[in-house]
Amino acid sequence: MAALLTVENLKTYFHSYRGLVKAVDGLSLYVNQKEIIGLVGESGCGKSVSMLSILQLIPTPPGEIMSGRAMFDGQDLLQYEAKGEKMSSIRGAKIAMIFQEPMTSLNPVLTIGRQLTESLEIHLNMEPQTARERAVELLRLVGIPDAKDRLDAYPHQFSGGMRQRVMIAIALSCNPAILIADEPTTAVDVTTQAQLLELMQEMVTKFSTALVIVTHNLGVVARYAERIYVMYSGRIIESGLSDDIFLNPHHPYTIGLLKCVPQLGETREEKKLVPIKGMPPNLINMPENCAFLPRCEYSLERCRREPWPPLTQLEGQHYVSCYADIREKP
Amino acid sequence: MAEDREAGSKAAGKPGWSEAAQHYSETRRMISVFVGRPLPVIGLVIIVLLIIVAIFAPLLAPYDPYKMDIINKLEAPSAQHLLGTDSLGRDTLSRILYGSQTSLIIGVSVIGISSVIGIALGLIAAYFGGLLYHIIMRFMDALMAFPMLLLALLVATLLGAGMKNVIIALAIGMLAAPCRMMCGVVLSVKQNDYVLSARAMGMSNRRLMLQEILPNAFPPLLVMITIGLGATILAEAGLSFLGIGITPPTPAWGGMVNDGYKYLMTSPVLAISPGIAIMLVVFGFNMLGDGLRDALDPKLRGVV
Repeated sequence: MAALLTVENLKTYFHSYRGLVKAVDGLSLYVNQKEIIGLVGESGCGKSVSMLSILQLIPTPPGEIMSGRAMFDGQDLLQYEAKGEKMSSIRGAKIAMIFQEPMTSLNPVLTIGRQLTESLEIHLNMEPQTARERAVELLRLVGIPDAKDRLDAYPHQFSGGMRQRVMIAIALSCNPAILIADEPTTAVDVTTQAQLLELMQEMVTKFSTALVIVTHNLGVVARYAERIYVMYSGRIIESGLSDDIFLNPHHPYTIGLLKCVPQLGETREEKKLVPIKGMPPNLINMPENCAFLPRCEYSLERCRREPWPPLTQLEGQHYVSCYADIREKP
Repeated sequence: MAEDREAGSKAAGKPGWSEAAQHYSETRRMISVFVGRPLPVIGLVIIVLLIIVAIFAPLLAPYDPYKMDIINKLEAPSAQHLLGTDSLGRDTLSRILYGSQTSLIIGVSVIGISSVIGIALGLIAAYFGGLLYHIIMRFMDALMAFPMLLLALLVATLLGAGMKNVIIALAIGMLAAPCRMMCGVVLSVKQNDYVLSARAMGMSNRRLMLQEILPNAFPPLLVMITIGLGATILAEAGLSFLGIGITPPTPAWGGMVNDGYKYLMTSPVLAISPGIAIMLVVFGFNMLGDGLRDALDPKLRGVV
């Protein structure tokens, strides 16, 4: 089956006065139909920037997409506007995105109903009345009680969790092929987080939408994602099925990440949480070799000499970008 | 604040949750802030009176403001002529009442033209940024470099007197302020997550500007427009006083002050009464603007 979205060698750089920031530096990934993908990495590793690049939402200047392709539906999204097409016909209609901050992602002066019906009217050319009925249905689907009344409410009358539910409803309103959720649960508390993730899983199944969960929280993706990409300083350093990553990690960074997640049922004596030493790299003027090298416990002489190791296949869908051959049970 | 909380808990506890109840309380808070102090109310009353007088001037005025009566010129206030007559024997009260029409027409059309153009330019400059921003804002800087009245004076001298030209002159003079303010507000509003969110949902630039950004940038503009109305009326009076504003037979307060001040020693009421009218109206607009700012600005919530 051909992938729905294929990103190849995406490079998004920011020109800052202190130098070139290689926020995304040669990222490749693909998303299949109806698949749930996890994109994991620490803050500032380029997760959000890569997703925003796909939708051409990077502010230019200072940002610039240097190279790469993002094939969707036979078209390269990165060249889409250059060919005279409008990205706005893709955004929301084919690929939708929800953001981290539910508290500020809704326009405070427009009613929930207006914000829901708007995209229906734009992308699906619905009549206002039909759009309104559809909006009520969508609100009900995402679990807003009293949906019909709440359509005329303003965002400030909703809680954070409810707003994120509304965002999910808006994002799925036009039945997009892919939903990108950029840290969708970071700003809400843990119980709401679980509810929202359940809801998203349920909704994407219902709408046959592929879901990309961008997060720094391994726990979030562990349960829902079928495949996982681990990102570090602008690149994918390990990818594979969820089981490959969690049960059989190969990259020192992935191993380190898993070591600092507590396991239920383990006492402090049985397993100590081990933090990854050092700091995330500064992305300005990066050296050519592996960015994780300064923090790596398994570094070899070769890592210092040679440039960043390419992603190589281990088995099946499991790819890793590391010279050292490590197998360690987390 | 206590009122808000009360309304919120009432609304949440009620089974048939009604949105109107809670929304109303916010509007009511604004009204109560506005009405709570005397000055904004006085301002509002003055402005409402001005509008009523302007509309019903033909009914209210005891005489035709153009009718000359040379025999009874420069009369002191009396029962026939409450504010006396001017050098051509025209009734001063009638001319002041009709003059309110001139002031209001000029104020509204100047502010209308300058804020529509200014807001549009400011919005475009701040939204698109880059070269467009610099071209528009440097042009506005150039306009701002001249004192407003001086600029209007220059344009009015070039175009000649008359109501249409006064409107054009003042509109150019008043252009920079709303443009700059809009630009500043939009620069901050467009950074909001909901704008990015709406963009990610495929909204066009036009929709983003008009629907996502403009309503959120509006409250400070409303205040500026109200205060600007007062300033425009004052500027128009200034131009008319200098003789390059409204052409003579049309009653205009500035022109009347100019006519009257020659007789300041003998008939002081001629210059003073239109002067008071100008002062009251400008004061009214400023108080109204201040009141609106206090009511609309969420940062002042709880302070006033």
